[in-house]
Amino acid sequence: MIVTSIAIIGVFLLLFAAFIVKDIVAAKRSVHKTVHYSVRESIGAYLMLFPALALICLFVLLPIVYSLGYAFTDYYLLSPNDVGFIGFDNFADIIENIRKHGTVYNAIINTLKFVVFVVPLQIGMALGLAMLVNKKARGMGVFKVMYFAPVVISLTVTSYLWVRILGGGDSGLLNSFLVKLGSEPISFLYDPQGAMYWIIFVSAWQGCGYQMLIFLSGLKGIDSTLYEAAELDGAGKGRQFLAVTVPGLRSVLTFVIITVFIGACKVMVQPMLMTGEQTFTITLNYLMYIEGYTYRWVGYSSAIALLMTIAIGAITFLQRYLLKEED
Amino acid sequence: MEREHILRRTKFISARVILYLFSVLIALFFIFPLVWMVVTSTKTEMQYANDLGSFATFIPNFQELSTFFDNYASVFTQYDIWQYALNSFGYAAAVVVGNIVVNALAGYVMAKFNFPGKGFVTFLIMFLLIVPVETTIIPLYSIVHTLGMSGTVLAVILPPLVSVFNIFLFQQFFANISREYIEAAQLDGASQLRIFFVIMMPLSAPIVATVATFAFIGVWNDYIWPTMVLPNPQPGQWPLYPIQAALTTIQSIEGVTTGEVMASLVVTSIPIFLVYVFAQKYIVEGIGAGGLKI
Repeated sequence: MIVTSIAIIGVFLLLFAAFIVKDIVAAKRSVHKTVHYSVRESIGAYLMLFPALALICLFVLLPIVYSLGYAFTDYYLLSPNDVGFIGFDNFADIIENIRKHGTVYNAIINTLKFVVFVVPLQIGMALGLAMLVNKKARGMGVFKVMYFAPVVISLTVTSYLWVRILGGGDSGLLNSFLVKLGSEPISFLYDPQGAMYWIIFVSAWQGCGYQMLIFLSGLKGIDSTLYEAAELDGAGKGRQFLAVTVPGLRSVLTFVIITVFIGACKVMVQPMLMTGEQTFTITLNYLMYIEGYTYRWVGYSSAIALLMTIAIGAITFLQRYLLKEED
Repeated sequence: MEREHILRRTKFISARVILYLFSVLIALFFIFPLVWMVVTSTKTEMQYANDLGSFATFIPNFQELSTFFDNYASVFTQYDIWQYALNSFGYAAAVVVGNIVVNALAGYVMAKFNFPGKGFVTFLIMFLLIVPVETTIIPLYSIVHTLGMSGTVLAVILPPLVSVFNIFLFQQFFANISREYIEAAQLDGASQLRIFFVIMMPLSAPIVATVATFAFIGVWNDYIWPTMVLPNPQPGQWPLYPIQAALTTIQSIEGVTTGEVMASLVVTSIPIFLVYVFAQKYIVEGIGAGGLKI
């Protein structure tokens, strides 16, 4: 592992050196000496770039290269000197697991469920809230702060708080009221049908205030005379929303959809802390963590990670393409 | 005429009433869990159990004011949450300062220096900004493990020091600062590092504040990574866990009461709450800067 790492960093340094030489040669050859490098300035630049480049190499580039490479090995964390290249075996295992409706299958289904529901829910709530607090009435600023409040607490706090609210038996907040009303206590978070939806709900509750602020700055940027013109033309509220608000928010909307989507694909903390490892709430990122960290099968875990990255990258690209095309 | 005026006035007022009612209902939806968290943190387990299922569950413990802060007392003295909080402050301070120095230096060089190989570094930064690297936490863990850093504070502090996005932000910012500042200082014989720290950093105070705010929130709220690389707290020793990770530890202590759990959640949230209150301006600017990424 250390040898491979040194080799990868060596290749990086060689590339960097090659580009430096190329630039110097080009400067020497330029006819009117338009490009001129000062030795002092260059050495200063390298020294000041060194901390950033060293950290990028170690903690950004190496992990990227390894996440590609490990996926094709049987790397077990505790035996780093016994890593074998096994081709596509990890991927074959994953496909086999999906066919047998195993954990990977569950993780894919749960992640898809989360993404498909949380993205429209959270963005819809955020847009609604933004339009509400954007109304010109006294005191809307106070409401804005309240709607934003859940963003301030971390995902860890959110998860542990909602565990107490949705807790099973009659000790949970919600159940205590249901029992008072004569209902049986419901184990919200251990119900295979419903648990994932509660996680979706809690995630949207916690996160939407942030996108509300982004939408709000977008709404402020829309020329208010456009609404007046639309009203003169006899457009109702719904028509105004579609004809003025949505086009006015296009670039903001693109940004929000893509960031919320990518964040949703990576969901892990909420199922981890709210239900623990359960077939009905495990997500892909969480599974990747369990395989790579708890069971230490870095190779298999990296294969899952690689598939995830490819899927996220492809869908993000598609979103960008579709959303930009209409401009 | 008078009649029409009254009619319009009534219509306006009723619209307002509906608007405010609606806004209040939604506000309740967003803050009742937070209110309940704070309220419950003042109650003994008995009171908590008694109040469940009635409206009293949302009323703080005003009957027995002598036990009002008991949960906070036990969270601080028995569960030593202040040690975890100090750890979090330490990690956050190190990351915030380091993150700003490392990335601002790089951004400054990229904006104002001319050197061979600059095209390569520009390409590297742009590449890392665009390429989707969503899931490299396991390879990162294996690297940190191999470097012998797992189990040490270095594992929590070093990886978040560099941020390609922050380099990019600083580069954009410094590009707009006039060269004359640098040239004047150079004539006075100031060294490059001196120019950076004495002239450039003070000029970039707004962007530094934004980056610092987001870096602080990021480190304070991080949960997964610290629990991966730091050892579980052992009794009788100063723990290495930051406060978010400590929440899991406190949750799993035998006999911990609901009130104590809530108190620990409140203590964990207060610093971030203060950051949002006092650094509001920079957070809004940062959210705007995020839009640059696209």
